[in-house]
Amino acid sequence: MKRSSLVLLSIMLVFSMFLAACGNKSANNPAPAEPTNNSAATTEPQPEETKAPDPVKLRVFSTFGGTDAAREAFQGVIDEFTAKYPHVTVENDTLSANDDGFRTKVNTDMTSGNEPDLLFYFIGTDAECFVNAGKVVPLNEILDANAEWKNGFIPDALKLATQKDGNIYAAPLTGYYEGLFVNKKIFEDNGLELPTDWDKLTTAVKTLSAKGIIPLSVPFDQSHYLIEHTILSAAGPEGQNKGLLDGIDPNWEKAYAAMKELYDLGAFPKDAATIDLGMSGNYYSEGLAAMTLEGSWAVGSWTEETRNNSTVIPFPTVPGGVGSGNDIIGGFGSGFYLSKAAYDNAAKKDAVVELLKHLTSPASIQKIASANGGTPAADVEVTGLAQVALDGFAMAAKANVISAPVDSKVAPETFSDLRASVQQVVTGKKTPTQAIESAKKVEDANKK
Amino acid sequence: MKGDRKYIFMFLLPSAVLMAVFLYYPFFKSLYLSFYRTKGFFDKKFIGWDNYSRLFSDKLLGAATLHTLEIMLFVIIFQVGIALVLAVLVESIGRLQNFYRSVFFFPVVISGTAISLLFVLFYNYNFGLLNGILANFGIEKVLWLSESNALAAVSIPTVWHYVGFYFILFLTAMSKIPSDYYEAAKLEGINAFKRTTMLTIPLIMSDIKVVITLAITGTLKVFEFVWVITSGQNGTEVLGTYMYKKAMVDQNFGYGSTIAIYMVVFGVLLALLANRLLKREEITY
Repeated sequence: MKRSSLVLLSIMLVFSMFLAACGNKSANNPAPAEPTNNSAATTEPQPEETKAPDPVKLRVFSTFGGTDAAREAFQGVIDEFTAKYPHVTVENDTLSANDDGFRTKVNTDMTSGNEPDLLFYFIGTDAECFVNAGKVVPLNEILDANAEWKNGFIPDALKLATQKDGNIYAAPLTGYYEGLFVNKKIFEDNGLELPTDWDKLTTAVKTLSAKGIIPLSVPFDQSHYLIEHTILSAAGPEGQNKGLLDGIDPNWEKAYAAMKELYDLGAFPKDAATIDLGMSGNYYSEGLAAMTLEGSWAVGSWTEETRNNSTVIPFPTVPGGVGSGNDIIGGFGSGFYLSKAAYDNAAKKDAVVELLKHLTSPASIQKIASANGGTPAADVEVTGLAQVALDGFAMAAKANVISAPVDSKVAPETFSDLRASVQQVVTGKKTPTQAIESAKKVEDANKK
Repeated sequence: MKGDRKYIFMFLLPSAVLMAVFLYYPFFKSLYLSFYRTKGFFDKKFIGWDNYSRLFSDKLLGAATLHTLEIMLFVIIFQVGIALVLAVLVESIGRLQNFYRSVFFFPVVISGTAISLLFVLFYNYNFGLLNGILANFGIEKVLWLSESNALAAVSIPTVWHYVGFYFILFLTAMSKIPSDYYEAAKLEGINAFKRTTMLTIPLIMSDIKVVITLAITGTLKVFEFVWVITSGQNGTEVLGTYMYKKAMVDQNFGYGSTIAIYMVVFGVLLALLANRLLKREEITY
């Protein structure tokens, strides 16, 4: 009898341990760190920097890792901060932006109560779900309270960083532009003009493919930039902005017709169906391809020779398209989000705000922009950039309209469907009209 | 004995809890989510059987199922077949057995993603090793991952990766066969080929059955090879990659979960079918 009660007791003990573990977790989710911070922060009420402050650990998640051009610059900016505030340790958590994998990580982290203290992520639809769920803090008040910080930004950059509800949740760092990158040397060697309009583009494609040079290096599966540019030039900025929800803009299918025309002329790599963006960038970087569709972030990863030979121009208007041929895709598409959990945590609050201010100060913005060639969100002189990056800034400055890419106008599943249609349309298994109709169907199902 | 049992239960409990948390909870959560239309992580709406009716009209899912079955065929024929041949050969050599054991088992240790990246560089049209060799001989480059070849090209690393595992299983099974069987056969004057087909293989039939079941269920999980080498393009989409795309890339967790349930049901049915077809008496020595 006695023994069995002992067993019962120990089982209950084991159970209570599990319960405790679970209970802690669920309690942490809604009101994070309130109980834990009491034990971490000593009972002294915020000593005024006279005594050494308690150590604080912050986690910053960004895409400045792996092969990113700004990886070292970003680490440098963090090191500056930790040198100034030795009690703060910053964990520089990164994942490469080459694939969609980092979106998955961010989404999982944000929903499972594992949000980083500062998150560098997209502004717009991508962020909508965790913004609406109140996982991040609106920065408006903090910006107003720190005039010096706020005035560091170009007003346009802050305007572009505004979420649908009118609040600013993300502090912008550098912006980006996308365009048609052209290897000038290959064009000159073959006596070709820069592809500023459709005829010049098709002439170039014909000449180059006859000579065994890949004219335009893009993948079919990760065809984000191909779709973004052709739809923008086919439907124009307004037609693109409408998305698909309120009916089909008949100009959209011209984008797919243009892709097919290019494919029939031999514009794409032979293995375009199975390569990814990394490999397609590789072809351009190695000088095997004369053009590619990419964003400003890609410039840093190319070989020096290709980089020096490159320039960037807006994608020409496709046949029948209503775009002006001078519209580009770009903006301040991402910024630093401040997690609600960190902001509500008294032990972390000051340090995390200070870190946010430091990371997006004009000096830091200047360093990052110099490294990755992005358009700076502050009015600073960026030096030491390759000519192609300067061409990019000029292109962005001269552009009629700068739009966000079409993936931010439709549901993720719809965009996947558009991507899946690329290969089918160019190989003739689907007509351009069917491609858009199928996307429309997916979009409708998504908005049910 | 009776007192011991309590302790056994106590010690079984933690692993049961772990299984429940990491296996059964997600499974039932998937079942639950399969009745919802989800948008991102926070927004979901009950839609009844809609996801399931979509399952039946989804051509891409049908294609993914077919591709999975095709890989399964390759795996059963080549993976199990090659493993069996290798095991028979290695079993019959006296020396260097351990050396070959390690050599053939080694690929199992390497991560599938690393092997896939390796094969990406083999197959690449412009830089690839295979085309490099062909170019050396002045032969025109081949598009290894074209629509007609891609599935086979993906199956090769899939098969190669796990051959060693089944090889070890077969070898272990063979080592359990008592040597007096072979001695008797030798006295009867049997040749090596007959010895293999009449003695060894029938005696390890139950292990072959287990291996085939493992191969079938394992193929349903194929993901990294397809994802890294072709990302499901050119007719290589399998159930694993399709589910991932729907759930993670498209953030349609509802439909992704429905596909997951379908995969479980499909897998259980296949395993039962295989068991039925391969039913055989257990051999005791």
